[in-house]
Amino acid sequence: MLFNTTTFFIFLAVVLVLFYSSPRPWRKYILLVASYYFYASWNPKFIALLLTLTVIDYTAGMWLEKVSAARARKAVLILSLTANLGFLGFFKYYNFLGRNLALLLGRPENAFFLDIVLPLGISFHTFQSISYVVDVYRGQQKAVRNPIDYALFICFFPQLVAGPIVRARHFFHDLLDWHSPSTDDVSRGLMLMTLGLTKKMAFADQFARIANDYFGHVAANPGMLTAWSGVFAFGLQIYFDFSGYTDMAIGMALLLGFHFPVNFRRPYLASSITDFWRRWHISLSTWLRDYLYIPLGGNRGGRWRTYRNLMLTMLLGGLWHGASWNFVIWGGYQGALLSVERVFRGDRPVGEGRPWLYPLKAIVTFALALVGWVFFRSANLTESLAVLRQMFAGAPGHILLEPWHWGLAGVSLVVALGEEHSEWLERLTKAPVLAYASGLAVMFFFLEMFGAFDVAIPFIYFQF
Amino acid sequence: MRCGLVCLLAVLGLFGCDALLFRTPIYPSYLEPDSSTGQFELILRREQTAQTLNGDNLVATLGNSRFAYAPRLSNEITFRTGYAFRHAGVAGSDVRTWYYMLRDLDPAASRYRAIVFGLDDFDDEDGLFDPNDDMRSLHYVIARLRWSDAWDFARSFDSRRLQFEALRGALLKGFVYQADFRAFLSDPRKRIDYVQLCRRGYESWTYDYVETNNSLAGLEVDWSAWTAKYPPGTDQDQRDTIRNFLMRKPAPQIGRIANYRRLWFGRILDRYRGSRTRIIFIRLPRGPLPRPDDAARKASGSVLEFAARPNVLLCDEHAFDSLEHPELFRDALHLNRDGIARFSPMLAEKIRSMLGPSTQR
Repeated sequence: MLFNTTTFFIFLAVVLVLFYSSPRPWRKYILLVASYYFYASWNPKFIALLLTLTVIDYTAGMWLEKVSAARARKAVLILSLTANLGFLGFFKYYNFLGRNLALLLGRPENAFFLDIVLPLGISFHTFQSISYVVDVYRGQQKAVRNPIDYALFICFFPQLVAGPIVRARHFFHDLLDWHSPSTDDVSRGLMLMTLGLTKKMAFADQFARIANDYFGHVAANPGMLTAWSGVFAFGLQIYFDFSGYTDMAIGMALLLGFHFPVNFRRPYLASSITDFWRRWHISLSTWLRDYLYIPLGGNRGGRWRTYRNLMLTMLLGGLWHGASWNFVIWGGYQGALLSVERVFRGDRPVGEGRPWLYPLKAIVTFALALVGWVFFRSANLTESLAVLRQMFAGAPGHILLEPWHWGLAGVSLVVALGEEHSEWLERLTKAPVLAYASGLAVMFFFLEMFGAFDVAIPFIYFQF
Repeated sequence: MRCGLVCLLAVLGLFGCDALLFRTPIYPSYLEPDSSTGQFELILRREQTAQTLNGDNLVATLGNSRFAYAPRLSNEITFRTGYAFRHAGVAGSDVRTWYYMLRDLDPAASRYRAIVFGLDDFDDEDGLFDPNDDMRSLHYVIARLRWSDAWDFARSFDSRRLQFEALRGALLKGFVYQADFRAFLSDPRKRIDYVQLCRRGYESWTYDYVETNNSLAGLEVDWSAWTAKYPPGTDQDQRDTIRNFLMRKPAPQIGRIANYRRLWFGRILDRYRGSRTRIIFIRLPRGPLPRPDDAARKASGSVLEFAARPNVLLCDEHAFDSLEHPELFRDALHLNRDGIARFSPMLAEKIRSMLGPSTQR
């Protein structure tokens, strides 16, 4: 059930009607059933996995609160982490490790191969579970008594399969002290749902056609401009796809009275890679910061330790995305860029500098991000290198984008710049009815004219 | 309350934008001339212009590309027939699209002395393809659809998915014009220039068009074994049309075509009830070689039923059998230059004999 399908909108409408027409105590049960139904519509078999992890982490949370001995608490934490990472490791990384082990041992590549289907959203709900257990362990979060509440935290359908990764304290604050969404919340929710759908169908899916054509036939598409335009198309696709999904998730959560954190803040306007990671997939980067980078020591152990921690965090962040060397390299590339940037920036805060240099910095950052996307999107390392060779040493080639694609990119840039300076989308939701309705109508019209309705292109992050 | 109002206004705004652009002549005037919609609109406009240039002896012909004749050749004997022929047929179209074409081409249902429909067969032979679910219809007639057509037009499709697509397109035309609109945005100047060129030249390009003289001379078919012996030099397209059209295997006869024809021809005939316009059905030359009559067990002949109506005339089914020779066809579907040269005056004479002398004022 993709967010951009009629089936999903019917599902959402039914959930909203049932939710608001039911007595308040029933509402979380409705959300729970709806969430399991939503998940089961992909593959009902994995409901068992979801339930198992829910039971393990719920129990771990309860134990952590009951047990006071440090050793026992640590043991419970390790047990929970082992279970979570064990499942994630088996489903996501077993074949990757098996393939590499086979190569090391000189065995056939598929010697240890198992036909494993990756459960949808496992990377997201595992990280969410881990954050809960760690927070309880650290004493930053009280263990949740009601198993229904905890189950809903893990499987809440708007963010179940591709985030944002919601922290327990935010979710339970909304759940345990639930209020009907305010008019502002509903306004924002509607705006975000429409914006997200437009981003996905009118922008991401249109750029996806070019990116898929290019990366599907790299050898047949030589040329520098060809490669840059193919990678540019993917860069826009992945941003609009993922941020579109997230906008919809945040929007529908608002309609249900829940507040999710912002996940994207116009990352392609970033003036540095550090800035980029403060704007891109914020819920993941803050998760990595809080549960990996800082526990590793963060920037407290001197310069070299900081670089090491950055590299390790980004390498694991890369690996989190997928079980392939390409993702590891992508993570390493990001870590290296962050480290190099830190060398030059020293202790100066991000964003400080001469304002007139900003456009140049933003363009360089965007180009660096695009180079990273080559590893992210290519099928394997050989293909990545072939694309990079074309980008930096290819013949001129030709631009894959048609003029109207540039128009789309231009519109998005103007909207993003406007939003960066005045957050006008936010203000539009509070504007007079006619202004707000006009904004929505323009988005609807954009969707009508540019939406890719003839193809169903899944959200990229669903595979993670 | 506020959000409900916002949603309502936003939806109205969407319909307003769509209507402003696509239900006024603003955009439809600049459709890509080579697209299905563009062709349909060019032909419609060309025939609307022709109405102003001709008297009341006009005969309009409608059909798909199989109705291959040259009005220029038919009109060379106007001095004898008394009628001026105009062809409003569109390649790939069918009776559903002809209904919408005629509704706007002849709003008062009285402009023509006769409207001639060229059909493959008077009997109703179902093929494997469901004509109700021919989505091309939506693209042909999109510029002609009105708000009030949306529900009815959508319901004329069988599949739920197509019904939804047709309803969506009929209500919000932008969904159908999407690709055209994006292509327009890619190079508006080029499009405008090309449209203007087509407007200037379309009448003469089509009226003076001369068909290729390729032929299937030498084609032989063994109907007992359903095998064909292709003449030397037959290209792949010609072979495909022979295999897929001439030698198509009979499909189960379930009355689909009969219902389709009854519905859409029925609507056309209802529009012309009591009009001075005669509706004429002709059977087109069936192909380079006639298929055996018993190839499919056709259960009905809806066109024969229409003949009972007062202003409907049926041309003799065998009137054009003499053209069914491989040397007069460029492929299994279409007459070639020689075929058209013979068919066009024959058609004019035949129509004249059915209508009687022209009473041109």
